[in-house]
Formats: sequence, C-alpha cells, structure tokens
Amino acid sequence: MESNTEIPVVEGLFVWSADSTSLIGSKCYGCGVHYFPKSLHCRNPYCNKSQLEVVLISGPGQLRSFTQQYFRPPALFKMENWEPYMIGQVEFPEGVRVMGMLTGFKPDTVKIGAEVTLTVEALYLDDAGRNVMTYKFCPYSSGDKA
Amino acid sequence: MRPVYILGVAAHPWGKFPDKPQLQLAIETTSQALKDAGIGWKNLQGIVAASSRFEGGLGWGLHANELLQNSCETGIAAVNVGGGCAAGGIAIHTAANMIASGQCDIVAAVGAERMPKGFIPRPPGAQDDITDTDYLRWVTMGATNPAYWAMEAKRRTYEVGTSAETYAKAVTLMRQNGSANPLARYRKQTTVEEVLASPMVSDPLHLHQICAVSDGAATLILGTEEQVRRCGVMPLRLASSGVATGSFGDSSLRIPTVSTVKSPDQQSVNHTTEVVSAVNHALNMAGVGLEDINVLELADNTAWHILAWPELFGFFEPGQTDWMLDRGELGLNGKLPINPSGGFLSFGEATTAQGVLQVCEAAWQLRGQASGRQVPNAKVAMTAVLGLGANGASILLTR
Repeated sequence: MESNTEIPVVEGLFVWSADSTSLIGSKCYGCGVHYFPKSLHCRNPYCNKSQLEVVLISGPGQLRSFTQQYFRPPALFKMENWEPYMIGQVEFPEGVRVMGMLTGFKPDTVKIGAEVTLTVEALYLDDAGRNVMTYKFCPYSSGDKA
Repeated sequence: MRPVYILGVAAHPWGKFPDKPQLQLAIETTSQALKDAGIGWKNLQGIVAASSRFEGGLGWGLHANELLQNSCETGIAAVNVGGGCAAGGIAIHTAANMIASGQCDIVAAVGAERMPKGFIPRPPGAQDDITDTDYLRWVTMGATNPAYWAMEAKRRTYEVGTSAETYAKAVTLMRQNGSANPLARYRKQTTVEEVLASPMVSDPLHLHQICAVSDGAATLILGTEEQVRRCGVMPLRLASSGVATGSFGDSSLRIPTVSTVKSPDQQSVNHTTEVVSAVNHALNMAGVGLEDINVLELADNTAWHILAWPELFGFFEPGQTDWMLDRGELGLNGKLPINPSGGFLSFGEATTAQGVLQVCEAAWQLRGQASGRQVPNAKVAMTAVLGLGANGASILLTR
C-alpha cells in the first residue's frame, strides 16, 4: 500500500497539488528579473532597486539541453530503485533556466526545444514512511510522452 | 608596480598517493621548486596556499601556515586562498601582487590536493540549506559534475554540430601530449575507437572524455628582477594575471547551481564569464593580443572544454575549433597548441594544484624544457582555469 503522506525533498523550493506543480522563485520589482530558488538579493548589476517578492514559476518551458546519467550519484542523492535517469535544463518564459530530472519522456526521442511542464515524483520513503518528493520536468504535449 | 618573474617551478607526479599526506606532497614539491630556483626555504618571504575543503587540517584544506610550521619556521607571511580549481591561479595572482607591490621579494604559490574517489562529492562542513546550491543539486536531482558538462556538450552539438568523433579526437590529442609528460597520470596514447568504447557516463560524454580525480601538487616561486639575477635563472616574466567571477546573465551551466538567469543583453559574451573575464584582464594588463599566444594551457575537465573554450576566448569563431582540431592546428606544431602538458584529461584533476601545474607547464615550455612535448620557440604562454562556484583565473608568461 502506498503511503499518502508526501513531503518535499527541500522546504520552500516548490509546491504542488493534484493537477499542478510550481517552482517557488523570486521576482525583482526593480528590474523584473526572476530567480529560482528564492534569491537573497537581486543580482542584476544594472538594477538600482533590489526589491524581491516571492513568485511561482509554473511553465510550460523549453528544454535547452539534457543528459542521461548512467552512474549512481554520491550518497547525498537518495533514490529508491535507482536506475539511469535523465537531467535537463529548461528555460521558462520568465527568463530563468532551471535544471531538474526528466520523467515520462520516450527514450531516445527527447529533443532540445521540446516543450515541458512541471510535475512531482517520489524519490524515496523516509524513516517515517513519507514519500519524499522532488520536482521534475515532463512532456507538455502528448506526442512526446512515453 | 614592480615586474614579477618566475624563479622556480616544480610539480609532483599526478596519481593516487594514499600513503603520502597532502602536507608531504606540498613540502616535497615546494622544496623542489626552491631547488629549481637555487634557493632554500629560509629565502622565502611569503607563501600563498591554494586551499580547498577536501583535505587538510583546521577545516580549510591546505594552508600555508601549516606548511611553514612543518617545514621552516621563519615567521614569514602565510596567505590562504580559496576558489575551487581556480584556487591555484588565484594563489599565483596573490603571490605576484605581493611582489609587485613591493611587500616581498620572493614568494611561493602552492597547491596540493588529495581527492576523494569517484564523482567529486559535496565537500564537508556546509549547511543543509536552500541557500546552498551544492546541497540543492545533490538532493533534488543528483546532478554530478559530468552531467553539467554533458549538457553543454549536447548543446554544442545542437548549435554547431560537433560530432561524437570530434569529442573523442580532443581526448586523443591530450593523451598524445600527455604520453610525453613524466608527470601525467595517464601516459598511454589512445584512439577515437577506444575513447568511444569507454563506458558512457553522462551522454554524450564517455569515461575517457571526462577528467579523472587525482592527487597532485605544484609550486611556483616568484621573485623580483633582482632575484632573477641573484638566482641566475632565465628571466621569465609573469607578465600579468587575471582573476574574475561569473557575470550576471551568464548562460553556462555552472556547477553547482541549479538555475541561471537568461542574459538581458544577448549581444555580450555570456558564457563561462569568470574565465573569459580573467583571460581578458590578463591580456589587457600585459598588452598582449590573442595572436601573440604560442601556448594555451586550459582546464579541460572534459573534451567539451577543449573545443568550446578557445572560441569563448575569441581565438576562433563558434564551431571552428572542431575544424582546427581536425587539421592538427591545436597540436604542438599547430597555430594554437593547446595543453602540451596533456591537460586534465591526461593528469586527472587535483583541484587546487591544477592552476599551479598549468603555470609550471607554461614555464617549462618557455624555457624549452618540455622534452617530447615542446612547442617550438614558445615565447608567450597563457593559462585559463575555472573553479567551482564561478571562479576564474588566467596567468600570462612571457620571455
């Protein structure tokens, strides 16, 4: 039986509901630049007014590049039933480019430029039996789906 | 500002030395560099150590003070600098400025490292916190260093069409150069077929297209013009040094971040800006143009770096390095000899020592001492190194 309690792998990084997932970022109201994760200060040297507010980044976005990792990462990364998986970088309309795991793509047909959206998946069960979730990128249009 | 010269250089062979503490690597190599300069520990007036957190006491890696307390307690100035793989370059930059400013006449810059095995993990001691991108990249997606470079490599193929064979060919060139370098860890030449038959780590990068992690150490002794005369060494100028960090809007997949911001100004050079800016600082300060460079030692963490970096620095147009490699123009007798040392792909990466090793090789090339891998009549050599967390450094040597 699957546990129904889900917690994020890191607090304050993303939020999700049954039908949508969003990254928690910042927008600078001085210059309009978006950041992910939430930024401590506006990093734009041409911005004279660092005024950050929390915003949600929801996509869809465009896949800039990706790779399949064939070897298991060091122990700080926890994943049950580990097998080679893909990581990609996605550009969102807000101008922020975010890395994350890919899921739900047909193998060997992933392409740079593909439209992707956000989802969450469990990485592992913690000691309390809760599903530890991370954000992932999945196909936006049904044609790319596995 | 006083001109700065290279008095002595030395590097320990790269490899795995589980029975030799980091401190011993540093002491041996520094003793050898001092001998190369014809002086002793007691002649040093300052020492700058490139530090990382992978090994070393007191929590901040190799430190010059500990080095002195275990070698020669003269009471001289000890400075410790960080910057990941760029720390070696930053240490040299700092040492050079201690001489240029008139504070010291002879200063050593040292890097020594023993690395953990396998993928480079998160160094110990940081907070598990949303503000620590190194923490985020591991727990949210397990992004290894090769994954970042692999995505750059795949993007390059998308943009300029670099083939799997060209990425393999870059490795064969490095290993050919490295085969003549007694300090290199991998001294066997290789073929495109062998490279492509090595296990896929993070596509398109195979194991042999990614630098290994090694132990190693290197030391540079810098001094004034007067010290060059006293030591009786070849007058080799450290013409300039540049240190920089990443710029806003840089599109590179920068380890260990999980995101970047698209440049609002698409016209500017906006990739690996920490290294590009360091290179430009060094060139401007020395009044040297790219066309004057005879030897380029760059940090080839992967085959992608060999192809991408010369274009980022402005040596070639986008995609042109592939063509230059094919024509043999990056070899010892080519238009732009890259990494006659054999590079990281022949040495493996001993983080903080790497930036110092590059300058040692530059010195051997300009002295004409790079037997078996000598670039004919090399007069100007440039190094470029990237460090974890948006650090870059570049050193220019002339004779």
